[in-house]
Formats: sequence, structure tokens, C-alpha cells
Amino acid sequence: MKDEQREGRSSIDDIIELYKKDVDRTLLRENLKLTVEQRFEQLMNMQVFVEEAHRAGRKLREAA
Amino acid sequence: MITNFKILFEILIGGEVEFIVIGGAAATAHGSARVTYDLDIVYRRTNENIKLLVDALAPHEPYLRGAPPGLPFKWSVETIRNGLNFTLVTTHGAIDLLGEVAGGGSYEDLYPAIVRKQFFGDELQCLNLEKLIATKRAAGRPKDFEVIAELESLREEQA
Repeated sequence: MKDEQREGRSSIDDIIELYKKDVDRTLLRENLKLTVEQRFEQLMNMQVFVEEAHRAGRKLREAA
Repeated sequence: MITNFKILFEILIGGEVEFIVIGGAAATAHGSARVTYDLDIVYRRTNENIKLLVDALAPHEPYLRGAPPGLPFKWSVETIRNGLNFTLVTTHGAIDLLGEVAGGGSYEDLYPAIVRKQFFGDELQCLNLEKLIATKRAAGRPKDFEVIAELESLREEQA
């Protein structure tokens, strides 16, 4: 990056640019096709899924 | 605990509470794929709105999230008036009530940066993507870097 382009940027900007490389843009494009209601329904379904996974993990640890 | 965003929104909108959705729930409204577990709102700190907020949430057993049971916490207008930000759990999940947010200020400060989103026949006032990114940046927490990266990617996708 040229010096003039760096002007006004902080190291935080560079860190965020690095993180951006790992963002799944395909997923974001799919989300953008959904309505707001569908986005929240999807979020709540994910919460249930994560909760179930945690519960299953706890059970396995208790059984071990 | 699962947070039922739909019911919490219905409670607040039905109670005519003036609030702005911020944080992870606002990010979801904008298309974020990240999972968030609580609803963050900035509420207007007028006497009338505090009363509406207290009345709306009262039947849903608001209590300090993570606190041991049995504390003498009283959900009342006085409690809200004498405090500012509250991290609560209700029978419908977790909700953070913020009188002010770092990098954004109060309800009145944030109001020019809202965007209205249709939600099951109602309108949600959400913080716009630009301001959402600004508040996350202002917080300056390393755990938010991933979130900011996703929000900025969303902004680029919509450009």
C-alpha cells in the first residue's frame, strides 16, 4: 500500500482487512436475499442448534 | 437460554416503547450470519418512555443476568431512572437495555442514524450499518474485529 493511501488509516484498519479475508461472502449474499423476518428466524434456529450441540457435549462429558 | 427475538420485539413494540435495535440483533437485521444470544436496544430516557418500558417488560420477569437468585432487585421506574444500562434476562431470553452506547450516545444521538425495517407487520428502528460499524469501532474491543470485518463486507456487498 502506498504511503498516501495509508494516511488516516490505523493499524486496526489493517487488522480488520485481514479478518475480512475470512468472511464468507457467499453466506452474506444468501442472507441478503432473505427478508428481515427470515433472518431472525434463521438466527433463532441457529440458537436452538447451538444449544442442542452444547447439551449433547455436556452429556458426553458426563458419561465419560 | 434461547432468546426469542420475535416475542421480545412484539412486547416492546406492543408496549409503544421507543427504542433502537443495536448490536448483534441489528447486524442480523442487516444480513449478518453471526449468532447472537441477546437483544441490545438503546431506549429513550424520557420519564414517559421509561414507564412504558417498565410496564412492557414487567410481566416477563426481568432480572439481572448472571446474578444469583434472590437479590433485592426491583424492576421499577426508579430502578431504570437511577441507572443507565441494564443486562437482563427475561422469560423470553436475554435483553440489554442501554441508555447510552459508546461511540453513539443516547437514543436522541442515534436517532438520525436509524433505518426502519419491516418485521411481521411492524416497523423496527435499527441502527444503520454505517453507525453500527462506528459504534463497534469505538468500543475498540479485539473480539469485535471479526464483527466489524463482517459488517464492512456486508456494506461492500450492498454497494
